[in-house]
Amino acid sequence: MVKVNKKGKKGEFKETTPLDVVYFILPFISLGLVVFLWYSVSTNKPDMFPSMTATWARLVKLFKQPIMRVPYYGHILASLKRVVMALAAAIVIGVPFGTMLGWNRKLDCFFGSIFNIIRPIPPLAWIPLIIIAFGIGEFPKVLIVFIGAVMPIVINTRAGLRSVDQLYLDVGTLFDANRRQILMEVAIPSAMPAIIAGIKTATSTGWMVVLAAEMLSAKSGVGFLVTRGMDANDMPLVLVAMITIGIVGALLGVLTSLIERLLCPWLQIK
Amino acid sequence: MAANKVILQIRNLKKSFSGKNGEVLAVNDVSFDVYDNEFLVLLGPGQCGKTVMLNMIAGLIEPDEGEIILNGKPVRGHDPKIGMVLQRTALMPWKTVMSNVEIGPKWRGVGKAERQAYCQKFIDLVGLTGFEKSFPAQLSGGMKQRVGIARAYANDPEILIMDEPFGALDAQTRYAMEEEVARIWDQQKRTVIFVTNNIEEACFLGDRIILFSNRPATIKEIYPNEMARPRDMISEEFMKLRTSISDNTDLAIDTL
Repeated sequence: MVKVNKKGKKGEFKETTPLDVVYFILPFISLGLVVFLWYSVSTNKPDMFPSMTATWARLVKLFKQPIMRVPYYGHILASLKRVVMALAAAIVIGVPFGTMLGWNRKLDCFFGSIFNIIRPIPPLAWIPLIIIAFGIGEFPKVLIVFIGAVMPIVINTRAGLRSVDQLYLDVGTLFDANRRQILMEVAIPSAMPAIIAGIKTATSTGWMVVLAAEMLSAKSGVGFLVTRGMDANDMPLVLVAMITIGIVGALLGVLTSLIERLLCPWLQIK
Repeated sequence: MAANKVILQIRNLKKSFSGKNGEVLAVNDVSFDVYDNEFLVLLGPGQCGKTVMLNMIAGLIEPDEGEIILNGKPVRGHDPKIGMVLQRTALMPWKTVMSNVEIGPKWRGVGKAERQAYCQKFIDLVGLTGFEKSFPAQLSGGMKQRVGIARAYANDPEILIMDEPFGALDAQTRYAMEEEVARIWDQQKRTVIFVTNNIEEACFLGDRIILFSNRPATIKEIYPNEMARPRDMISEEFMKLRTSISDNTDLAIDTL
């Protein structure tokens, strides 16, 4: 009578079908195609696009020779630190704020219109104002990333709380939950998948915003490496930075999916 | 079963909704009594307003007119003495079986060890021992509805309302669950108000069967059913009751 997890229980023998082999191979084929494209473009137009060997050599050099006294991993850590701090603040502030908007109609009416006007302003448009107010230290960069990250969290949390199934609220009434119990044990868990989706969006947005912010004003970070490469006409460095951005961004995505598994175990059952 | 005291009085209940084609009268002037510890079945065609009536008794919606009197006192809103098993199981997918069953005592502030020991009794009673840590998505339809029944029992209601709990189950599981409910009711006597559109199910379970007309729901007839339990669905007595009810039933033609 019990449905068994599709993947089968631990230790259970699972047959490998030809289709599984195809699924396994396809990502490598696409990666191979990109590498081939890179190779052909860089051999035909060597002055426009750096070759793979040049890029690799630049990466190796970057390990030996820090830029602005910061080693390669130091730049990655600098960007990551800004994103993590901004994300943490965005979650701590955005989830309760979104919950308030989704749960209380009056607050939603009060803040809703302001929020809808501020929302479409790209985080980078805040840079001039923020620089005037806070200078060019570490805090203004984190603040810009925070602005980008908090929006999707607030929006998703609010939407998640507004779409709680009436059925579950009825269960709250039938079992005499008070309003706080309904919020904490019914509404918020029910909105949790939406909240997590918001955090996922916030993570990718935050990662993009931090790089853009660093490109405009920073002495460290992966975004700074891009600008540095452009200014010094060092295209291999630009490519190293771009690939780094892509890989770290993808890893951040994996990390948020792991957090989702931890927080919403019931969604893993298929 | 007869000569019992009246626990719940339904007086002149009336409810209408405004729909696309103007006002729709869902329940019209319904009055009946519910006796202590009886198994009362409300039988009616689909869409006839039975669920509306139950939701009024459970305090989920307010009646336009009429009164619900529990133990001599009128009920306002939801009364904790009235429990309910819902049509769609309404288990919370983010809670395990135990966490779903224990919500009643938990929300009343009963300590963890005490309430879990208490709830374990009902999980055992519905035959789900060993599934305490499973999530609803890991259970079959019949098992989910058992959790719903355990959850309602664990809140210790005087009156247990069951709203077409087996409507979504396949025929085999449905028969098994009907027997389960009869057994559970026998072991843990409560007043049960059971709603169904299935005549056979009504005859199998009910001490009394109240037959409703098509919408708006009004009472057509009340059938006492004193057949000995466990009941035999192919006995002559059973067939006779079944036929007399079925001859008297409106066809459920959805006119919405």
